Amino acid sequence: MKVGVPRALLYHRYGRFWEEFLAGLGAEVVVSRRTDKVLLQQGLSHVSGEICLPIKIMAGHIEELGGKIDVLFLPRLLWLEDRLYACPKMIGIVDIARMMFDGRLPICAPNIRGSFWWPHFRAGMELCHDPVRVVRALTRARRYIPAHDRAPDFPAGEKRVALLGHFYNLDDDFISRPMVDTLTGHGYRICTKDELPEKVLRNRQGFARKIRWVYERELYNAFRFLVDKVSGVCIIVSMGCGPDSLVAEFMREEAQQRDIPFLQLVIDEHSGTAGIVTRIEAFLELSERRHAGRSKIQDSRLQIGGQAAAA
Amino acid sequence: MKASFPNLGYDTYALKTFLEDLGAEVILPPPNSRRTIEFGSLHSPELICMPYKITLGNMLEALELGADTLFMAAGARKCRFGYYHYLHERALRDLGKECRFIPVTQYSPFDFVFKVMPGIFDVSPFRVMRAVTKMLAKSRLTQEFRQHLNRKMAIDFGGAEQAKPKALAVIERAHTLKEIQAARGEVLRIFNLNGTEPQIRLGLVGEIYFMIEQFASQEIEKELGKMGAEVVFERSLYRHIRHLLFSDPAFTRSGRLAHRYLQESPGGEAIRTVGEAVYFQRQGLDGVVHIFPFTCMPENIALEALQKLSEETGLPVLSLSFDEHTSRTGLLTRLEAFVDLVKRRKLGRRLHRN
Repeated sequence: MKVGVPRALLYHRYGRFWEEFLAGLGAEVVVSRRTDKVLLQQGLSHVSGEICLPIKIMAGHIEELGGKIDVLFLPRLLWLEDRLYACPKMIGIVDIARMMFDGRLPICAPNIRGSFWWPHFRAGMELCHDPVRVVRALTRARRYIPAHDRAPDFPAGEKRVALLGHFYNLDDDFISRPMVDTLTGHGYRICTKDELPEKVLRNRQGFARKIRWVYERELYNAFRFLVDKVSGVCIIVSMGCGPDSLVAEFMREEAQQRDIPFLQLVIDEHSGTAGIVTRIEAFLELSERRHAGRSKIQDSRLQIGGQAAAA
Repeated sequence: MKASFPNLGYDTYALKTFLEDLGAEVILPPPNSRRTIEFGSLHSPELICMPYKITLGNMLEALELGADTLFMAAGARKCRFGYYHYLHERALRDLGKECRFIPVTQYSPFDFVFKVMPGIFDVSPFRVMRAVTKMLAKSRLTQEFRQHLNRKMAIDFGGAEQAKPKALAVIERAHTLKEIQAARGEVLRIFNLNGTEPQIRLGLVGEIYFMIEQFASQEIEKELGKMGAEVVFERSLYRHIRHLLFSDPAFTRSGRLAHRYLQESPGGEAIRTVGEAVYFQRQGLDGVVHIFPFTCMPENIALEALQKLSEETGLPVLSLSFDEHTSRTGLLTRLEAFVDLVKRRKLGRRLHRN
């Protein structure tokens, strides 16, 4: 049996887990090809123009898989622990997929409510009818759910910039390539939220407690964690992303208070590479200048202090 | 206490009665205007949806009139609306406005009656309950008023324009439960409908703020009425409060009807939008108009479901998203074309025969 997994949205985090799990059930796993312009165009014809870019891409991937598979494996993330909800569009994409195929293609969509175990067990039973095998496949695949225990090192003297955004935007080369290339090309190390330990991302202190979207809380916590370790914060927001439009506003305010350069890049299917590169370069120059300016000010302060002490 | 709250279409009267019953002096913000929305968007994040901008504008204008306490609904699980009050509060603070800002959570009616309201106004829960009953009665009155008005506009637009201020005056005057009860008959008498049927009937579904506050959707009901279409709606403040008090039968019905298209709620009111559209289709209405703010997340999912519904049943569906830049001319052209299409379909004429 050929089971299709679209290479978009949640795949970028749980893809390895799903691939191992489905392979363990004895299914042949078909993953759609990497995002490109053709896939995006396919997606555009299936969803309304107002929906955000990752969902359009997802629709393209689903369409692409359509003829090649027997079952589409498309888990629906409703909420994770602590009742943190996924974004409405992520919940709705399964229904959109169902309406796209109109019953021509069976869709296996475990509803993830808090725990991964039970919905995946039921989905496995749907696909292979052998409880022992399903449990074994799940146990083996489990270690591929990404989790970091330790925070990465932040050595002094290194040029760092935080590139914050949803993992499905950053891990998709089609979307993030120009940004990553420009930043690394200028000798910056990129800090993202996905290399941070669970403990930091799930932090419940302060305003983070009030954010009820799971990935927004991660973003905000990552921002709080990284903001004093980097020389600038660049966040990527897809046009029409509801949660981001709110949380980014809070981040901007905090960055302003701490006097850290903050760049908000809004992307959609029309955003050209040139515009993004120019903005990032300007942003890097600004952060470098501010960095230099700040140390100069600090130096002069030291001198004044020194003179005062000498006097 | 000089209390104020954002405008909510005709239901502003219901909320005003509620706060007055609890002993507050109510200062209503001026009616929504171009100025309100410009004021609001000036201090709003760029990508936020339209209700935020209008409500913020309302609050700023109410503060200008001397209000010192602002009420704002809060709490919506997956929708952005639940976070409005954080941003509102911050925006007001940044502008240096001195006021008491009270977000009221929607989804806990018991807390609302026994803790929140008695805490704010220092009254007994019994009095709060009485005020809620009165608010319910009054919002039912405004709902009926809107239904009569929509029908009257479709039949006789000029007559409706004349009757409207009279009926509104009656609604505003009704204070006790008895008077509200009497006003229901009075309103019906003023509109003088005599059972005439309009040419076509269109269902209106969409995001609740847009359903209640006509300014946001550029008075779509009035425009459709002018073109001879009666607008039928299911959602109103009355139904919403009934839903919050767990007593709205239409809510479960919507979920059941929408299940074919949406199996899990994507949050907000997507399920209700789809369920109501299916209901309207089964009721034999001639078309459905779907209105929502630009970039609204749940309604965008509902839009896909409505397209599917339209494909499967042949029901004409027009989806319109609004923001502060929506051009009126473009909107009118689309509405005219849609009403034309629905009329031709109903009268069984084809284009080439004309």
